[in-house]
Amino acid sequence: MASHHFNFLFKESIYPMAIVDHEMRFLNHSKLWLEELDINEPDIIGKSFYDIFPDTPQEIKKIHGECLKQTIKKHKIQKIVTSEGRLKYIDWQVKGWKEEERGLSGLLIVAEDITMAKRNEELLLSVQQVAKIGGWEFDFVANKAYLSDITKEIHELPLDYEMDLDKGLRFYKKGEHRQKMEKAINEALTHGTPWDIETILITANGHERWVRSIGECEIVDNKCIRIYGTFQNIDQKKRIELHNEEISERLTIATTDAANIGIWEYHINDEHVIWDDNLHRIYGVTKGRFKGTIEAWKAIIHPEDYMRCHTELTSTIADKKNRTMEFRIIWPNGEIRHIRTEFTISRYENGKPSRLLGATWDITESKTTELQLKDLLKITNEQNESLMNFAHIVSHNLRSHSSNLSMLTGFLLNETSDNEKINLIKMLNDASSSLNETVTHLSEVVHVKTNSEEKTKKINLQKALKKVENNITALLQEKEAVCNMRIDESIYIEAIPAYLDSILLNLFTNSIKYSSPKRKPVITIEAEEKENRVIFTFADNGLGIDLDKHGKKLFGMYKTFHNHKDSKGIGLFITKNQIEAMNGKIEVESAVDKGTTFRLRFQKTIEKEYPKTNEKNKEYLHY
Amino acid sequence: MKKIKSTCIIDDDPIFIYGTKRIMKEIDFCDDILVFNNGQEAIDGLLNITAQGKKLPSVVFLDLNMPIMDGWEFLENFIKIPNNNREMVTVYIISSSVDPRDVERVKGYDIVHNYILKPITPQDLKDVLADVA
Repeated sequence: MASHHFNFLFKESIYPMAIVDHEMRFLNHSKLWLEELDINEPDIIGKSFYDIFPDTPQEIKKIHGECLKQTIKKHKIQKIVTSEGRLKYIDWQVKGWKEEERGLSGLLIVAEDITMAKRNEELLLSVQQVAKIGGWEFDFVANKAYLSDITKEIHELPLDYEMDLDKGLRFYKKGEHRQKMEKAINEALTHGTPWDIETILITANGHERWVRSIGECEIVDNKCIRIYGTFQNIDQKKRIELHNEEISERLTIATTDAANIGIWEYHINDEHVIWDDNLHRIYGVTKGRFKGTIEAWKAIIHPEDYMRCHTELTSTIADKKNRTMEFRIIWPNGEIRHIRTEFTISRYENGKPSRLLGATWDITESKTTELQLKDLLKITNEQNESLMNFAHIVSHNLRSHSSNLSMLTGFLLNETSDNEKINLIKMLNDASSSLNETVTHLSEVVHVKTNSEEKTKKINLQKALKKVENNITALLQEKEAVCNMRIDESIYIEAIPAYLDSILLNLFTNSIKYSSPKRKPVITIEAEEKENRVIFTFADNGLGIDLDKHGKKLFGMYKTFHNHKDSKGIGLFITKNQIEAMNGKIEVESAVDKGTTFRLRFQKTIEKEYPKTNEKNKEYLHY
Repeated sequence: MKKIKSTCIIDDDPIFIYGTKRIMKEIDFCDDILVFNNGQEAIDGLLNITAQGKKLPSVVFLDLNMPIMDGWEFLENFIKIPNNNREMVTVYIISSSVDPRDVERVKGYDIVHNYILKPITPQDLKDVLADVA
């Protein structure tokens, strides 16, 4: 009775357990033993454990042996695939037994199924790897899917939803996204390749969302029997990421292609400088050539602008404002470019600056235009001013003569004395010739002012001087003037011939007119070539002019400084205008009773080289 | 109308000087007429008068555009002349200039009483006489 009860209890045990003899033959087993381990044979009593479980590894066989000998208790976990192909984690708990009286011995074996625990453990591991993630697995043998609650939530599925692989795939957005997922699973099934991909999922409620799927597979006998992994909703992150990518791309297009804006960063602590590709282009530096140091950057800035930049930058960092700076840089090929940069300053919590971030662009074109515009405005103002002065001078000079004429004619009408009448007529004659002279001067000035477009020609300076000197030989001889002319015969200048003659004549006659009565006049004429200019000096040892007193008026109209009968105050005014009409300049140095030196600047003729054949042809044509 | 004792003309234009002198005679403007051809001559001449302890002329007709020293420079130098009757001297600018900048600039000199535009007429001198004498 007791034995019968025991047998019943054993059969109905809630554990899958079995009892074997010392030769591992089954003596008894619970019903669950057959069910849990998928044993299809109806009767295994008397059969060997190793026949039923042919894959029993050596280490478990060893445990069996040890427990038989010493009647001890041991356990070992084994991953098995049942006859129905189910993968299970079995914790074999083995205990040896001995019945001294009957001389019997054997083992009691309990097969605890720990598959669920084991799977949870694996899922947990994945979850630990990527936080806040759902888990999933597909068991190909049972064609069953296990989804964690989070995974179902991401799919917007009810928690009791039954999933399989085909259903699962249909949740991915048709087209590239589903193809991407299918491909990953195929790769996993055929090659056991794990995956980590981001795709768009369409939830049960029809919402589109970005998910990240990480999967691995379990291979048994070269066959993937299970895939499992994690599942994460990355929609927000992904959309921000895509949005940023889009903005960044747009910014790149805007800054690089459209506006040519270069971006730079300067880390104050380690003085490290970062330039983007565009900034390299702006600075004319090949990528990779820039050393990324502040020193390398400083070296490119125009020396004249460097100190100002340095001061501005220092004060910007100090007063915590964002700033704009404009400066010039020198390209490796020597070209000077104008640069504008705007930047912001990042700071540590204590207010110490950590980093400057700036945008830079080339403003050479607009700067050049601006400068041209300023020049133009200056010229216009000057012309306006000079026109206004001219108008007043004209009115003044014409008026002074006309008032004399009207006064004299008034006297003449009332004059009775014949002698006085003759005197008045003589004065009238003087006044009218003065008026005539004034009108001639004014028209000369107008001519210079309005015909500045007249063409310049290549003129040999020495020849031009000799010609003028010859014309006034008589005057020079009368005053016993000495003329030292040290002009290289190879010097050619760009000048309007009539103007040049007039200028040189005026300089000669001025020197003679204002020569000192104490000494013989000595005139020294020199010229030197400087780049594209010719500097011409005309010095005398005459009376000289007090420049502190009269300097400003020297080249003014109708300004005279000596009590000389021929002083009209028109010569130097016209000379100056003629020189300026030829893009030249005139300056003066003088000391009273020592002499005066005029320094004139002309445009040098740039020789164009003609091929020899052409030269011959030209000569031929001249003959 | 009383007669002015001494008048001074500072101008580089001989025809103007001739005309002014002639009109002065016509209207019996003054006893003596001093003539200088530019500002420098005038300053030198007036300093000479001061040095001799004589009185400066009470009316000065001053041109603006002159060589060597123009009317403006003359004014700057004239106010520095140390003479007790300098403040009794009345200066009239006589010029052909209708440039408003000149007219405006003249207003800056207290010593200048009026601006007379050339040509000078007998009426102009009669007005001066009425003002001064």
